[in-house]
Amino acid sequence: MRESATDSEEGAGPEFAADADGIASSAQTTAARDAAETATGSAAAHNAPGDPMPGPAAASTATADPAIRLAAAIRIVLLGVTAMIQLGLGLAPLLRHHAAYRPPVLADLAYATLAGVTALCALWVLRRKPLPVTVAAGGALVVLVASFAATAALPPDSFFREPHWSFGLVGWHLLVLLADRVPALLVALAVHTAASVTQFLLDGTPTRTELGDAAIVLFGVTVFQLAIAGLIRLLDRRASEAAAAAAERERLAIRAALADQAGHDLRTGFAEQLGATLPLLAGLADGTVDPRTPDARARCALAAAQLRRLFAENDDVPDPLVHEVTACLDVAERRGVAVTLAVSGDVVDVPAPIRRDLTGPVLTALAAARTRARVSVLRTPELVRVAVVADGDAEPAGSAAVPVTSQSRDGQTWMEARWRPE
Amino acid sequence: MATRVTAVVVDDHPAVRAGVAYWLTGGDPPIDVVAEGEDVKVAWLGAGATADVVIFDLHLGGPAPAFGDLRRLAEAGRRVVVYSMRSDDDVALQCLELGALCYLTKAEGAGHLVEATRAAAQDRPYTPPSLAGALAGDRSETRPALSAREAEVLVEWFQSESKEFVAHRLGISASTVNSHLERIRVKYARIGREAPTKAALVARAIQDGLIGVDDL
Repeated sequence: MRESATDSEEGAGPEFAADADGIASSAQTTAARDAAETATGSAAAHNAPGDPMPGPAAASTATADPAIRLAAAIRIVLLGVTAMIQLGLGLAPLLRHHAAYRPPVLADLAYATLAGVTALCALWVLRRKPLPVTVAAGGALVVLVASFAATAALPPDSFFREPHWSFGLVGWHLLVLLADRVPALLVALAVHTAASVTQFLLDGTPTRTELGDAAIVLFGVTVFQLAIAGLIRLLDRRASEAAAAAAERERLAIRAALADQAGHDLRTGFAEQLGATLPLLAGLADGTVDPRTPDARARCALAAAQLRRLFAENDDVPDPLVHEVTACLDVAERRGVAVTLAVSGDVVDVPAPIRRDLTGPVLTALAAARTRARVSVLRTPELVRVAVVADGDAEPAGSAAVPVTSQSRDGQTWMEARWRPE
Repeated sequence: MATRVTAVVVDDHPAVRAGVAYWLTGGDPPIDVVAEGEDVKVAWLGAGATADVVIFDLHLGGPAPAFGDLRRLAEAGRRVVVYSMRSDDDVALQCLELGALCYLTKAEGAGHLVEATRAAAQDRPYTPPSLAGALAGDRSETRPALSAREAEVLVEWFQSESKEFVAHRLGISASTVNSHLERIRVKYARIGREAPTKAALVARAIQDGLIGVDDL
C-alpha cells in the first residue's frame, strides 16, 4: 500500500505542478486582460475601486496610494479617540479632584497642553497629511513633559487611580503623534510608562494593594495601546502589499496595453505592406478570382514574392538590399524561371522604405518573367541601381525617391530602379 | 585562323577541369586543352608551358587568392584568363592590375569562357558582365577616366548580359559596344604595374585601330 501510495504521489506531483502553472499563467493572462480593459477605460473608472474620496483630491498622488490613504484614516481615528478620551474620561476626574492636586494649576496646565497638542495634530491629520517630523518629535516631548507634570501634581495615594487621568491619555497622544514611526512610538511609550512607574515608586513605599491595582491598570492600558500599535503596523504592512500589488497590476496593464498597441501597429503595418495579398485572398475566398486563369496565378506569384520579401525585410543581415533582392528571386525560381543575380559594388546603407521601393519593381518584373531573368544590383556611394532584364512584359511603377525606367522590346523587358543616397 | 588555339587548365577541382576542357573543345572552332592539373606548375612544364592561354583558378586549395602565381605568369607574358569562384570586385580589379586578360566568375557559363579564351589568344581583352560590373563600380583613386558613353556601356552590359540589347538601348551597333568595352580595358591596361600582357593588349588595340598612337 505504502509503495503504491508513494508511487501515485510521485506520479501526481509533476502533473499537479504543471496544472498549477497552467492555472497560474492563465489567471495571470486573465488579470492582464482585465487590467488592460481597465486601462483602456476612463481614468475615473480606473481610480474607482476602493477609492473612498471621489473628486479632485482622490486623483492627487498623495491619496492615490492605498497605504498612504490607510495611514491617514488611522490617524484620524486615533485623533478622534484621543480627543474623546481627554474630554470624556480626563476632564471629569480633573474637575472632581481639582482641589486635591498639588498644585491644581499644574494639572490644569498639563491638561491644556495635552489638549493643545491634540489641536495642533488636527491641523495635519484632518487634512490627511502626515505629521512633519519636528511636530511629531516636539509633540512627543511636550506630551511626555505634560505627563510628568500631571503625575507629579497627583494627590497622595492616587497613582494609577481615578485622579491619574493623564496616564492612559498620554499613551493615546503618543499613538497619534508617532503612529507612522513605530520604533519611536515604542520608545516613547516605554519612557512614559517607566517615568510614571518611577514617580509612583519614589512617592513612597506602596502597599501591596496599591501595587496590585497599579499593575492591573499598567498592564491593561499598556497592553491595549501596544495592541493598537501592533495593529497599525500590521495594517500598514498589508496596505504596502496592496499598494505593491496595485502597482504590479498597473504595470501589467500598461504592458498589456503597449503590447496590444504594438500588435495593432504591426498588423496595420503588415496590411499596408501586404500589397496585393489581402484582396487576392479575399477574391479567392469568395470565388471572384479563378485560380485556373493565368492572371490569377500571376497575381498569386506576385503576392507570394511580396510576402517572401516582407519576411526578409526583418532579417538581420549585413547586406539587407541584396538579401531582399534574393528573396524576390526565390519565388521566381520556384516558378521555374532561370534567374541570375549579379551584384557589384560595396554595401551601401539603404533605408527600409527605399529598399521596399527598389525591390517592388523587381517583384513586378520577375512576376512577369516567363523563362529567364537577370537581376543586377550595382552600387556606388552616389547611386544604387537595381535592374531586371526578363522575358515578359511588365511596367513597374516607381516612386518619388526611386524613379523607375523600363523598356520592352521583342518580349524582353529591361527595367531599372535608381536611388541616390543623400 | 591557321592554327588552333591551345589552353592549359589550372584548377584544383577535377570536375571543373573536365568541364572546362569539354566546353573549350566543344567550341567552334574548338580550343585544344593541351594540359591540365591542380597545380600551377602544369602551366610552366611540358605541353602546358607553350599553351596560348592559361585558364587559372585563383583559389588553388586555399582561401587566399594566388596573386603571386598570377603575377609570375603575367610577367612571363602568359595570357591568363582568371576563372574564379569569387565575384569580388576588388579581387577582379587586382587581377586586371596584375596583367590578367580576363576575370570570369564560375557563375558565368561556357559562352563567356570560350570567348574569353579565344580573345586572350589574340591578346585581346574580354570583359564579361560581372567584370563590367566591377569596372562600373570601381571608385578607386587610380581608376582611369571613362567617358559617359563608356560608363553607360559597362552598366548596360552588366545589367543585361546581351550586347544586342545594349546596342539597341544605346542606339549603337553591337561591334561598337565591343569597341567601347575594349577601349575601357586598354585604359585599364595603361594604369598601375606594367606587364607584358598589358603592353601586348595595348599594342593589339593600336593594331586594330581601336586607339591611335597619339592617344598614348
